[in-house]
Amino acid sequence: MNDTILQGLAQAYGNLVHMVADFLPRLVVMVTIILVGLLVAFILKNILRSILHLTKLDRISEEAGASHVLRKAAMPSMTEFLSRSLFWMTFLGFILIGISVLGIPELQEQIARLFELLPQIFVAIVILFVGVLVANFLSRAALLTAVNAGYRSPSVWGGLVRFMIWILAISMALEQVGLARQTVVTAFSIVFGAIMLAVAIAFGLGGRDLARQTLERYLGDKRPESEHEKEQEPSPL
Amino acid sequence: MPEESFLTDDLLRQFMSVGEVDILVGIPSHNHAETIGHTVEEIEESFQHEFPRERVVIINVDGGSQDGTSEIFLKASSHKNSNSRGLTSLRTEHRVVTRYDTASPGMAFKTLVAAADLLRAKACAVVSPGTSNLSAEWIGKLLRPAYLQNFDFVAPLYTRQRYDGLLVRILLYPMTRAIFGRRIRELHSTELGFSGRLASMCLSQDVWHERTVQELPETWMAITAIASDFPCCQSYLGPKLRSPASRTDIVTAVRQVLGTLFWCMESYQPVWVQRTGSESVPTFGPDHEISEERPNVNRERIFELFRSGVAELSPILKTILAPDTNEAIQRVATMDERNACFDNALWTRTLYDFAASYHHTTLNRDHLIQSFVPLYRGKVHSYLLQHESSSAGEIEADSENLCLEFERQKPYLVQRWKVQSEVKP
Repeated sequence: MNDTILQGLAQAYGNLVHMVADFLPRLVVMVTIILVGLLVAFILKNILRSILHLTKLDRISEEAGASHVLRKAAMPSMTEFLSRSLFWMTFLGFILIGISVLGIPELQEQIARLFELLPQIFVAIVILFVGVLVANFLSRAALLTAVNAGYRSPSVWGGLVRFMIWILAISMALEQVGLARQTVVTAFSIVFGAIMLAVAIAFGLGGRDLARQTLERYLGDKRPESEHEKEQEPSPL
Repeated sequence: MPEESFLTDDLLRQFMSVGEVDILVGIPSHNHAETIGHTVEEIEESFQHEFPRERVVIINVDGGSQDGTSEIFLKASSHKNSNSRGLTSLRTEHRVVTRYDTASPGMAFKTLVAAADLLRAKACAVVSPGTSNLSAEWIGKLLRPAYLQNFDFVAPLYTRQRYDGLLVRILLYPMTRAIFGRRIRELHSTELGFSGRLASMCLSQDVWHERTVQELPETWMAITAIASDFPCCQSYLGPKLRSPASRTDIVTAVRQVLGTLFWCMESYQPVWVQRTGSESVPTFGPDHEISEERPNVNRERIFELFRSGVAELSPILKTILAPDTNEAIQRVATMDERNACFDNALWTRTLYDFAASYHHTTLNRDHLIQSFVPLYRGKVHSYLLQHESSSAGEIEADSENLCLEFERQKPYLVQRWKVQSEVKP
């Protein structure tokens, strides 16, 4: 009886020692990989930061209005944002490689799936980033055009342009990641269709007078001459 | 001739058959079939009257006209074969025509200065067929100073209606005078004269691809002449009547004029930063003329556009203007329409802030210039209010005060220009 117990304990101890002996080197390898990853990520971050400083990305980002959005979201400058993103993506990649060295089958499977997704996530982030830039630039252009042309509620035009481009960018990014592809496309179609319908109804019913005035302007101005003259601004040149 | 490659073989062939000339008159055109005949007649009459012994050429650079402008240009004949003294030109009057697919002021102007360079013209004039009251006398007044008196740039002077050409009167003239130090009133004009020497210098500049030069080449040439210390003068032509089609809308005008001015400020920074005060240039005829005509303008509507523009563009203006300038503008925009006053000092500071922000690119440059339009309307409103019942003399006195204000505040511009803007939180 005692022999059996001792034999069992010895076997368990042997297994434990074997497992620890088997696991420890892998743990050391993992830690080494993570530390190397930390170093590589740090170096890459500094290289990218220097390159972006040279290309004056912050100035371009300021011009396009992207820095304004980042500031609103309490985020750092564009150069810092991209450098830190690269740091964390590199570091995360090394952490995942390190964990996979441990040889836990379930973890390995999840990590493999995550690795498959990483490029798509990166592309989605780029799409969102470009979307924000384009939305800011075009909405400002629309706002300026509307203000200078004397349209009513010019900020609505700017906001509408920004909203449409954001919707487009978000749906493209989600589709890129592969999240509920069908749902995203359907949702986008519904939102877009609803906006167009709302605009059509608003213009047709609510804005009958505006529609009439616009048509008159295109088909020939019927206003009396004196009124037309009074609207003139002095010739600038 | 480094720039001859952009000229077509056909055009070069025409130039070769012309040979060297003394005088060149250029007519850029686009759908001017109705008026170009009159323009050619007046130019020929001027040749007969004033330059009967000179070798002359008239060049039409047409930008995609669909109404047969070029054909009319070639067929148009002077209704007077001899001048009032019964004299005709002693030399052959050449006519050259070249066509481009689209109307591009820059390309047309480049073609004309290249022609002046190739044909070794001593004096050149550019006139617009859109000016309906162009006369033979005008051509002589533009050519004579360059041909006989060695001036390199001849700016026109017109009789203006009291509210006509305000962008030139309250912005372009005072600002260029303060910055570049020469008192030339009409730097934006479709009529001008220049020497072959200035044409060759301009042709050699590697700027013709720039958008500002493409849009307003005449203004660029004028500022180049001033900045490069070429002898300049002004020549009074008379009242200018424009065909309704040639009227430019405010947004386009501001984009072109301010864009060209700011771009020239960047290009000639080493020149203007050193200059202080301003010098008058020789002027042939009266220095200024304002007619008593009072066009019907809607002042309330202009103020409303200013007020709503300032409110809507407030976040953009905050990134362009100095805080105290921005505050002052916001204050004016909230005033009652009858009491609102965009004074000369504030106007000057506003323009200098915009110039500095353009230089430091705190915003996309085209957007920056577009956001100036409501402020221009604000100043126009104040001008209309102030000069509702002013005499021509009072208007001129106020223009002079504005110019002096621009000169007085120039150190402020230099300081803001030199200090690298910080990204505002």
